[in-house]
Amino acid sequence: MRLEGIGKTFVDARSGTPQQVLADFSLTVEPGELVAVVGASGTGKTTLLHVVAGLVQPDTGTVETGDPRLGIVFQQPRLLDWLSVRENITLACHDGAKADEVLAAVGLTEYAGSYPTVLSGGQRQRVAVARAFAVEPDLLLLDEPFSALDELTARKLRLLLQDLWMQRPRTGLLVTHNPLEAALLADRVIVLAGRPARIAAEYRVDRERPRSAEDPHLFELHSQIVAAL
Amino acid sequence: MTATDVRPGPVAAAVAKAPHPRRRLRFLPAVLFLVLLAAAWQLMATLLDFVLVPGVPAIVTEMVDIVSDGSFLDQLGITVLRVGLGFALAFVVAVVVGIAMGRNEFARRFFEPAVLLGLTIPGLVWALLCVIWFGIDLVNPVAAVALSSAPALMLQIYQGTRSVDPDLLEMAHVYRFSRRVTLRKLWLPALAPSLFAGARLGLSLGWKVIVLVEVFGMSSGVGYQLNNAFAAQNVAAVLAWTLLFAIVMAILEYGILQGLEKRVSRWRKAVSV
Repeated sequence: MRLEGIGKTFVDARSGTPQQVLADFSLTVEPGELVAVVGASGTGKTTLLHVVAGLVQPDTGTVETGDPRLGIVFQQPRLLDWLSVRENITLACHDGAKADEVLAAVGLTEYAGSYPTVLSGGQRQRVAVARAFAVEPDLLLLDEPFSALDELTARKLRLLLQDLWMQRPRTGLLVTHNPLEAALLADRVIVLAGRPARIAAEYRVDRERPRSAEDPHLFELHSQIVAAL
Repeated sequence: MTATDVRPGPVAAAVAKAPHPRRRLRFLPAVLFLVLLAAAWQLMATLLDFVLVPGVPAIVTEMVDIVSDGSFLDQLGITVLRVGLGFALAFVVAVVVGIAMGRNEFARRFFEPAVLLGLTIPGLVWALLCVIWFGIDLVNPVAAVALSSAPALMLQIYQGTRSVDPDLLEMAHVYRFSRRVTLRKLWLPALAPSLFAGARLGLSLGWKVIVLVEVFGMSSGVGYQLNNAFAAQNVAAVLAWTLLFAIVMAILEYGILQGLEKRVSRWRKAVSV
């Protein structure tokens, strides 16, 4: 996946002043790589992800994704509340057996026939993660996937995501404001700063998976990322 | 239920949680009202003692006659068919136009005058125009019902469309839901509350217009029978036909529409488990 010279300007709805969020921004994600984009809020991380997902058209530049099959996890689960958990997944992947398999992988087999409204927030987000993996995406997009959850639940889901990633490796882009999450999950961490956003720092994470959140090496990296922010 | 109540909010959950009063007690106030109404009417009829204000027994006798000689079901069937066809036509058009209005600025501005005009034109005018244009053809009642109920339906569906969660549409886009799947699995369920509110409003408008059309230009149906009774100055028959018609409407509304709505929104109930 390659982004080349991307530029995007939004016009502030209230003041009418144009805000250039991205200018001549380039990024390449190698096949099989999970790249994390870290930055303070308002640095254009989500805009970047929306450009890749085709939800936002860039003003300039090219997105070379080769029209991939996308799996996406948003900050909110975005499930259809009137369909069962299983139907929510089969609607995306068109494959009932696949849906059962990913539901088992996220430990929600017993809730397959339930409506999402009976699940807890963490369980719903697990369904969203399962859905993203069920489509066997060429590119997995994660937009602040755990930031709406309490810390304990978020921690569990990060480890679950790591497990899934090891069982079924993909190419991925993770957008987060949590440096530790980025260090734990990604192969490469990119720190965005400024307006328009530029790459302030870039770190390669060479630790073997499975990684542990208590790994001192990752904590060291986390401190570096915080410093770069 | 309002058109904006599309997402399962805490309100919906609270409503589902509220304990139902016992069945008998639930109907008690309504029954009390009807008994009092009948008593008051009978009192008035007795005091006036006038041929144009028939008492309750006369009205009931007339109702029993109408039902037992079989004419009620025949005439009702004809009227319901006309309303059903007209309403179905209005519904399909309104779903397409309403969603288009909610999604597209041009469509909204284009159809807005039509909706506003449609809402202000009285059903009586549609009935008269359709009788003049289409005569005794089936097109007449169907067109009159469709024209008079479509604008209100469009408005309901348009407002419902505006309140559909754009986040879900984004999700559907990224996961490449087909147009058909998006309509069936996302739009229609999300719009269900508006569709039901619209259906109620549309049907109630349709009933009113169909009677007018049948009075003016048809030789069958409940409205025609009403007109006959009126011409014969048989007030008991006029009241009997009206009451029977109202009872059938109530059955349609409470029995069928509400049952359907409960079925469609049963996932909301799950919240309170």
